[in-house]
Formats: sequence, C-alpha cells, structure tokens
Amino acid sequence: MRKFTSLVSLVLLLTVNSLAGGYQVGLHGVKQIGMGLVGTSLTLDASSLFYNPGGLSFISPDYSFALGGSAIKSFTLYKKSEPSMTEAMTDNPLGTPFYFYGAVRITDRLSAGLAINTPYGNGLSWGKEWIGRYMIQDLSLRAIFFQPTLSYKINDQLGVGVGLVYATGKFEMNRALPVYDAGGEGSVSLEGSTGNIGFNAGILFQPIEELNIGIDYRSSVDMEVDDVTATFDVPISLQGNFPNTTVSTKLPLPANVDFGASYTYDEKLLLAFSLNYVFWSSYDSLIFDFEKNTSALTDSRNPRLYENKLIARLGAQYKINDAFYVRLGGYYDPSPVNKEYFSPETPSLNSIGLTAGISVYPMENLAIDLSFLYISGQEGERTYKPDNFSGTFKANTYIPGIGITYNF
Amino acid sequence: MNRYKIFAYIFIAAVITACKPEIDSFEPSAGNADFTKYIALGNSLTSGYLDGDLFKSGQENSYPNIIAQQMKFAGGGEFTQPLMYDDKGFGNKMVLNLNEVKDCFGVPIEGAAPSLGPVLYKKLDPSMPDPRNFQNDPDLYASSNLGVPGAKSFHLIIPGYGMLNPYFARFSANIQQNSILQQALSLNPTFFSLWIGNNDVLTYALAGGEQDSITSAGLFTYAYNLIIESLTVNGAKGVVANIPDISNIAYFTTIPYNGLALTSEQQVAGLNMGYAQLGITFALGPNPFIVQDPDEPAGLRQIKPTELLLLSLPQDSIKCAGWGSLKPIPAYYFLDDQEIAAIKTATGLYNSIIGSIAEAKGLALVDANSIFTSAKSGLIYDGVKFNASYITGGINSLDGIHLTPRGNAIVANFFIEAINAKYQAAIPKVDVTDYPGIIFP
Repeated sequence: MRKFTSLVSLVLLLTVNSLAGGYQVGLHGVKQIGMGLVGTSLTLDASSLFYNPGGLSFISPDYSFALGGSAIKSFTLYKKSEPSMTEAMTDNPLGTPFYFYGAVRITDRLSAGLAINTPYGNGLSWGKEWIGRYMIQDLSLRAIFFQPTLSYKINDQLGVGVGLVYATGKFEMNRALPVYDAGGEGSVSLEGSTGNIGFNAGILFQPIEELNIGIDYRSSVDMEVDDVTATFDVPISLQGNFPNTTVSTKLPLPANVDFGASYTYDEKLLLAFSLNYVFWSSYDSLIFDFEKNTSALTDSRNPRLYENKLIARLGAQYKINDAFYVRLGGYYDPSPVNKEYFSPETPSLNSIGLTAGISVYPMENLAIDLSFLYISGQEGERTYKPDNFSGTFKANTYIPGIGITYNF
Repeated sequence: MNRYKIFAYIFIAAVITACKPEIDSFEPSAGNADFTKYIALGNSLTSGYLDGDLFKSGQENSYPNIIAQQMKFAGGGEFTQPLMYDDKGFGNKMVLNLNEVKDCFGVPIEGAAPSLGPVLYKKLDPSMPDPRNFQNDPDLYASSNLGVPGAKSFHLIIPGYGMLNPYFARFSANIQQNSILQQALSLNPTFFSLWIGNNDVLTYALAGGEQDSITSAGLFTYAYNLIIESLTVNGAKGVVANIPDISNIAYFTTIPYNGLALTSEQQVAGLNMGYAQLGITFALGPNPFIVQDPDEPAGLRQIKPTELLLLSLPQDSIKCAGWGSLKPIPAYYFLDDQEIAAIKTATGLYNSIIGSIAEAKGLALVDANSIFTSAKSGLIYDGVKFNASYITGGINSLDGIHLTPRGNAIVANFFIEAINAKYQAAIPKVDVTDYPGIIFP
C-alpha cells in the first residue's frame, strides 16, 4: 500500500529539523552560532571537540568546559497548489537542543575530551486534520551523540584530533490511514530507538599566528532499526489487514566535510568563513520492511533522491573590551531535498540564516554567551510526486541560545 | 552600552514583524461566467445517490453541491437540493457489515471469522424511513439540484415525468405536467451542469442485456440538443460531461469470468464427466463459469474472458446451488460479447454527440470517460490512492455504480477544472480527502 510508503522515515525524523537543509543543525556552540555557525577553524572554547577535534589542542587552559542550549521555534507554511484555498501551518513544539563539552590537557601536546550533544532532534507537528495527514501528522525525535575525543598538537602550526561517535536516537511518529469507521479515520503510530557509531576527525593548521585553517570530516552513521513498533488504530473489520508489527529500516546520516578559515584582523576583530559539504546523496530511498505483511501492508521503497549540498557560512567577532564581545554572521543553506520528491515530513527549503551573539565575561575565565539565529526558508513550489502532493512552502525559524564556558 | 542595545532591538523587531511566514493567497474569480444561479441536471450520479439509495448525507456530498460550495468563492449564489429527511432514503441503503458465515443449509459455521460484506441497512435497523421522504414537498420545488435517479437523456424532456419517477415526484412543482427541463428553465439559471446519458446504456446493462433497450443515437441527439438549446437560449453558460464506458464500472468488473474455483480432484472429475459431451473441460483452480446461452445447442457454454458478470450475481447460488458449474448462470447476470459491443458502440456515439454539441455551443466539457479509465489504473490525491475496485478502491460506493463522497469530490474537481479552463475562471478545487470514503464496521 503506497500509503505506507513513507510511514517511518527515521531519516526524516532526523532530517525533519526545520533548522537547515537536511538535518545539519549546527547548534553546537553559542559563540559559533553568533558567527553564522562557523566553527571549523575556530579555537574559542571546548566546542572544538565537535567542530574540529584538531583544534582542541590549541586551547590553552588545562580544563575547559562548555554548556549550552537553544530554543527552536519554527513555523512552516504550506499552501496547496492552485486553484485551492487550502493552507496549513505547523504547530511545532519548542525544540531544545543542548550540548556539553569537557576537555582536559594531559600534556602540552595532548588533550582529551568528551562531547555530548544533540545534532538531530526536533518536533514537527502539522496537526491531526491537515491535508497531508496520510503522509505525516507529527513526529518527535531526540538523538544524543557521545563523542570521546583525543587531540594532538604535532607542532605549533598543526594539530590533529579524532573522536569516536556513539549516536543514540529515539523517535515517535504518527500518521493517518485512509480507512474509516463510525468513529473516524484510522491511524498508525510508530516508535523506535536505535544506536550506532561513527567518527569525527579534524586537522587545524596555523601557518601564521593570525590565520587558522581547519578541515573536519564527520563520518556517516547508519542508523539501523529493526524493532520499530507499528501500532495501528483501524476499524475492527480491518484489524487483520493491519496487524501490530515491527518494522525495520535504515537511516543513513550522511558524511560531512567542513573546510574553514579564520583571520584575526587585529586584537579586536576576528573574521571567519566555512564551507560545509554534505554527502546527502546517500539518502536515495527509504525502505520499510514490515515483519508481518498482508495484502494491505506491504514492504515499500520510497524515493528520496537527496542531493549533495554545499553550505557557505560567514561570521565575525568584535571585541569591545575584555569583558564584552559581539558577533554577527550569516549563511546560505541550499536544501538537499529534490523538488519533486519533497515530503512534508522533511519540509527543508533553501534557507538563509542570519545570526548575532554576545559574550559577557564576569570573570576572566567565565563567559556567558547569548546568540540569536533567524532562518528564512525561501518560498518555493514543491511536490511529492509519489503521493501527488504539491504546493508552496515557506518557513521561518527563531532560535535564541544561551551558554557558558569555564576554563581553569 | 547603547550601541549593543541596538542589535537587540533590530532582532526583536525582526521577530515581531516577520514572525510567521505568509504566502500570497489564491484569488478566486468567475472569469467570464456567472455563477449567481447554478443548477445541475442529470441522473443518480448528479443527485448524490450512493450505496444503493438516495439519502441526506449522500446528497450533501453530491458533486453539484461540492461544486456550488466552491463557486461561492467566485460569486456563486445559494444552491439547494431536494434533501431526504434522513439517511434511510427509500429504505434501500446498503452498509458494510461483519456478517455471520453460514453453511449451505443456513446454519452458522461455528468458529468461523465473520465475513465483511454489504447488507441492507434496514436489516440492521428495521425502523421505517421518514414518511416525508416519499412525499411531494413544495419546499423542494426550487431545488437547484435537479438530478433524478433513473433518468435517461430523453426523460428530461418528458412532460409529467414526476408520474413515472418517484424521485422527481418528490420535488416536481407540477407532477402531471412538468418535465425536468421545464422545471430547470423556470429557475432562470445563469450556469448549468449536465451529466446525462449513463442510464441510456446502463439500465440495459444492469439487466444483463435481457430487458430495457439502448437509447438510439437519433433520440439521444434530439433530446440532448433540445436540452442544451433551451438552457443556453438566454445566454446561460455551462459544463457537460460525457459517459464512462461500462467496463470501467465496478459493478461489471468485480466478479471474474473464471471465478469458479475448483479445489478437489473429485469435483473436477465429476464436472468433466458431466460436460464431456459438450467438450467442456475443467481443471483444479480457477475455471470459467458455465452460463446460459440459448444460441448454443445445449443452451449453455463457458463464459468468455471478455464477457462481464454482474455484481448482482448471487454468491450463495454459486456456492450452494451449483450455479456456474452444475447449472448455467442465467443470462440476466452477465453481458455477452454482442451486448457489450452494442453498449460500447452506443457509448461512443453518445460521447461524440456530447462532444460536438459542447464544442458548437462553447460549453466546458468534462471527459468523464477518460477519468473513469484512468481511475481504473489508479489516482492519487494527497497521499491517498484510489482505484476503480469495488469497496477497496475508495471511489465506488457499495452499489458498485455510484460514487463515494470522495469519488464525488474527485469528479467535482474535474468539473471545476473544465469550467476554469473554458471560462478563464478561478474556482478553487476541494481537498478530496476532506470527504468520507467507505465506512467500515
């Protein structure tokens, strides 16, 4: 049954983050958020654990910690293809990604640390009644990454680092089924959790004191789930056709290469850019294998046909005085989603992000960071061909963030 | 610090002004048509008949009512229907039910899972329909929906048709004298829809080609021309629809020609022995049914793959009385090749007449025949797949001929599409999935 085709898109779950193309959330350090999410070449604090483990050994204090979080409020508007009066707006719950980084200098050259963050995780809710309910009503995902990391400074110019990633994720999603009894429409609820490993490796090169060049590779993580539970709410007479069962599927979280450079113009101004290439084409289709099949419940293969994309980011930091910094940034994030295979499960549009941030240092080794990110998902016509679903989408997202860093 | 406050103000301002996304809305328009008084002419499909009867909730989801509600966005006026007073109609409504499985002696089989199938609603709820459903009601005289179940093309021009048809009798303003067309003209329509001609072949087809007759092309042309001339004489514009081929209607496609399933060698041997002289052989698995044919020496033969069995074929007679195997299936339960050819020829003629009159009069044309053909292989709207299969397809109601509310919404959108294209209008379509499908127990 085609209706089941995009039932459980775990990747979607991961991708559903309206923050950015695909699921590249990028909210991994409040200072970096303020600078257009640039991080690969920066050595501002312990968040280098995630952005570039090679940069960790360039951080001078013996102990450095960073803790922070953001609140994501996003709205995606759908307007059905004309002629139609139909519109729908998401009513998403507040997303709350967080991070913790702790690093310790073991020797002059060797540092070690642990990163815990939530690169994927959000809630999408189109409501129970909306026009696309047979594709998606709502879903929620919480993925947590644990990354123990070592970083080694080969010489004053060059540092390398590598982290092992353990990813764990939990999700729930609901969609309507086009079967009815006197009580209304049927529905299916899917719940599952999974975990897998990957790695994160980076190099930081400092040819001159003012210039940092960073490159970081984060491997793909194949999130395989074979025990998703599917719970059906269908008319009594159809319960035999929709047995509660388990589903298996595979979720390719694609690999990333980040390249970035930052330049300390003078003692006040720091400029940075980065290029983030995402190997999205690994997300070719989504396959669902139901353990129990019936004539109404068959395994399915759903085209996704994502495309590799390059995200360009720019950012700047200005030091007002020792106790106060301001930041600005922006980026362009082209959607990896094919325009003809655009499922409302992943309403990812070409996006422009504008950022700002400040840091206040009440003590020399303690910073309180604030950031604000506004993302404008550019209006565009999209279709999900297999479901003959089309319309115009547009999105706005607002993300305030707060964090602290402490070094000693 | 003032400089930095400015940053904060800029961002707060951005949030307040741009909070939720907005997209320019669709602007409906009537183009060069005028929808202030829309009326609908047709047969049961137009009336909102489904599940074997005409009843209130079905009428409310008739395709003309759906179109009329959408026309209101583009200057359309009120649209009224000759509504029944309840959902029992004339008492023939079918519903899906989980039925007790019985053996050939009528004894319930113990432990057997109940089987899903349509039953008459009055078997579950024997209370009588509202008596007003059967009465002529002056409140209904001005009804904008003049779709009358059972009507053929030329019935629309018969004076006093209310005497012949109980559905028109309900709302005819003058039972003895009014034709449907006359009553329609008295409403001074500015816009009309006409979907007529189905019954000109269907009544014959539903009788297995054994009763009634196919309307001649001459009579069809005369009636159709008269209807269109009369409706357009004062400048009204309109939309007409042609006739789907019966081979795309579930009533004729649900029971397979080779539905005789033989499961034991003993059965096969017995039948082979019995039919040896006629040269008819049987094998394990599916076999063509044995059907009546007076032209054959023995008065019977195997049905051909191209011939169509009717949904009315009683399944218990197949199972328990040897119909289709020991005894031939009576001729009024199937359409033979000749009957099918006659129906197809007539349908083709009607459709070319409808097409050329629409063209000559500048009317919008809905190619219902191609829509039903494409529905056979499947239509998808907003993630829901439809096809022409009985019950599971989502378009055909329980009677196998008429449409579910979702089917009506699909048809309404095709009408809207044709109207928009012809008259440069912009009537918004409906969301098909807003309407009910088949209700399961």
